[in-house]
Amino acid sequence: MNRLNKIFINTVIHSFLIFVGLICIFPLLWMLASALKTQQTVFKDMSLLVNSPCWSNFYIAWTKGNFSMYFFNSVLYALSVVFGIVFISSLAAYAFSRLKFPGKNFIFYMFLAAMMIPLPGSFVPLYVLLVKLGLANTRTGYIFSMINVGLALSIYLLKTFFDKLPRDLEDSARIDGCGRLRIWWNVALPMAKPAIAVVTIFNTLNVWNEYILALIILQSKSIMPLQKGLMVFQGAHFTEYPVLMAGITITIIPIVFIYLFMQKFIIKGLTAEVLLG
Amino acid sequence: MRLLLGVFIAFTLIFGGCASKDKAVKKDRIVVWHWMTDRQEAFEELSKKYEDLTGIKVNFELFSPPDSYSQKILAAAQAKTLSDIFGVLGEKIDVASFIKAGHVVDLTPYLEENEAEWKSRFFTSALAVTSFEKDNAFGVTEGTYAIPIDLMNIQMVCNNKLLRQAGIQRPPQAWEEFIADLKTLKEKGIKGLVSGWAETWMIDCMVSNYAFNIMGEDKVIKTIKAEAPYTDSDWLRVFKLFEELRDSGGLASGVVTMDNKYAEQLFANEKVAFAFNGSWCVNVYQGMNPKLDYSVILPPEASDAYPMKIWGGAGSSFYVNARSFLSKEAVEFLKWLTDKEQQVFLVNKTKNLPSNRQALSGIPKELSEFADDSDSITHPNMWPFQEYPAVIEAFTKGVQSIIIGEKTAQELVEEVQRIKEKEIQRRN
Repeated sequence: MNRLNKIFINTVIHSFLIFVGLICIFPLLWMLASALKTQQTVFKDMSLLVNSPCWSNFYIAWTKGNFSMYFFNSVLYALSVVFGIVFISSLAAYAFSRLKFPGKNFIFYMFLAAMMIPLPGSFVPLYVLLVKLGLANTRTGYIFSMINVGLALSIYLLKTFFDKLPRDLEDSARIDGCGRLRIWWNVALPMAKPAIAVVTIFNTLNVWNEYILALIILQSKSIMPLQKGLMVFQGAHFTEYPVLMAGITITIIPIVFIYLFMQKFIIKGLTAEVLLG
Repeated sequence: MRLLLGVFIAFTLIFGGCASKDKAVKKDRIVVWHWMTDRQEAFEELSKKYEDLTGIKVNFELFSPPDSYSQKILAAAQAKTLSDIFGVLGEKIDVASFIKAGHVVDLTPYLEENEAEWKSRFFTSALAVTSFEKDNAFGVTEGTYAIPIDLMNIQMVCNNKLLRQAGIQRPPQAWEEFIADLKTLKEKGIKGLVSGWAETWMIDCMVSNYAFNIMGEDKVIKTIKAEAPYTDSDWLRVFKLFEELRDSGGLASGVVTMDNKYAEQLFANEKVAFAFNGSWCVNVYQGMNPKLDYSVILPPEASDAYPMKIWGGAGSSFYVNARSFLSKEAVEFLKWLTDKEQQVFLVNKTKNLPSNRQALSGIPKELSEFADDSDSITHPNMWPFQEYPAVIEAFTKGVQSIIIGEKTAQELVEEVQRIKEKEIQRRN
């Protein structure tokens, strides 16, 4: 009876999980199926299995959307911004966690307050500032802006993680003659890998999918990110859905790989309550 | 760690900094900012042709979607870095603020030169949308500030095949006929009318059409000026039309929560017999279902007291930056762009109505059906007075409530009048 009960409960739980999993994966399958249809069949044929797949949509998306150029730009932005954010936020978070200096709490709360400001609210002043600094329509301007966008949350996440790290190891390192920076580099950072993985994936997603700030700051097509390529297929009145879906499929591939690569760190990060504070 | 820091700085500055100096500041080319994704290819072809002809380069830079484009224009205006030619999306009040801030060239002298040769090319309604009358409510100096590159109007389209299937011999011309057709279609299991009425401006458009038809322009303007109440029997009749639409059972389900893109899909896929839509739909339907057999009709008249008026005017317009070093060259380019030859090219490539009246010959059948009714065009931007946004919101949302059966026309006119009075009090 007990065994039967267990089997029944397991079946219910697994059926539910499979159902939730299908709901999660359905949009991706729909996207992939739509990417293989034509402009005429995409509105008529609602099935996920496509009879005569139109693979040329991927070629059209890549060439017409200028994806090779935009891909390079997005990779460059993602690498620079995530690198910058991890570097600056880990230093700042470590300082907030371990150092004592006047106004520490005030500055930290200011960072937290910055998270409350919606990005669109700062577009115009940010653009005017970049124009005055001569950084509008430059990669540097966009990279610095995006680093700024991601800093507050990343500092918050890393600080809460550093707060929970035992100080004994750092004390031992100090006895061995390590300075603050060396302790940060050799002790704190390696222990914070799960939290850094979370910061990395959050910010990579953020940079990879960002478009509006790029549209406002940048003008030259040659320095626009990948999302710009997708907009080519999306008109005010008319959207080329199959090509757009093919384009989106291409754009999510790197993100899926990054997620898979960092999966174990992210799970560790989550189980280590990095997000719970 | 030093290595790490060095790599970061080098990476950002070398890759980020080098290939990135502001290219838009170059003064050897006219830069055009726009949001029209579907026209970019055609624009690029035209700019190449213009360069071959004149030696002047024109860069069409596309920033889409329209909402983001508007943000960009706003930010660039604040920083005084607008392109030589640009479009402004939004209401007339938004355009007025650009003009008053000194961002826009008054094109009137250019339009009037050589016995108004340039001006005479355009449909009157196309220029009216981008012009400001003397003593206008916005405080803008009288003149024309933008050049329309295409035209649009909003009418009804009907699927000929579905009408035939339902045994309907000809598209309806009168409201009663239309309601009878919707009932017939329902009996045959065919959905009657679809429109993107989650986008309330489309409801505003249909309400205006029938207000003009039932009470005439003078009374509509009088109501806007608060010289006539919304509780008037003519306004009640206008809103009762939506009750009749609801009661006919001919509206596509979910019409009040439907955006126009979805409504267009339904019509293009032959799921609905009628759609209330704009002339841009010719391009949309062509893409979705090239074999779609449909006709364009004026919304069926609910009264013979006044002619039916439809919303329309300039589809997309270009402004010249008053701070541009190339403003004269930009004006010359716009003259060339709105010449017959270029307009015909744009019509054939983009399936939009031309702003140049000489470019009408040889356009696709459905487009010419839209163009035939260009004389019936009106638009709030052409009216001397504009209704308060709160009042427009009240009656458009009220119409949605009528359609889902939460409100009656009588309740709606009373509510709209209350809001109108409140707005007047608030502003005095």
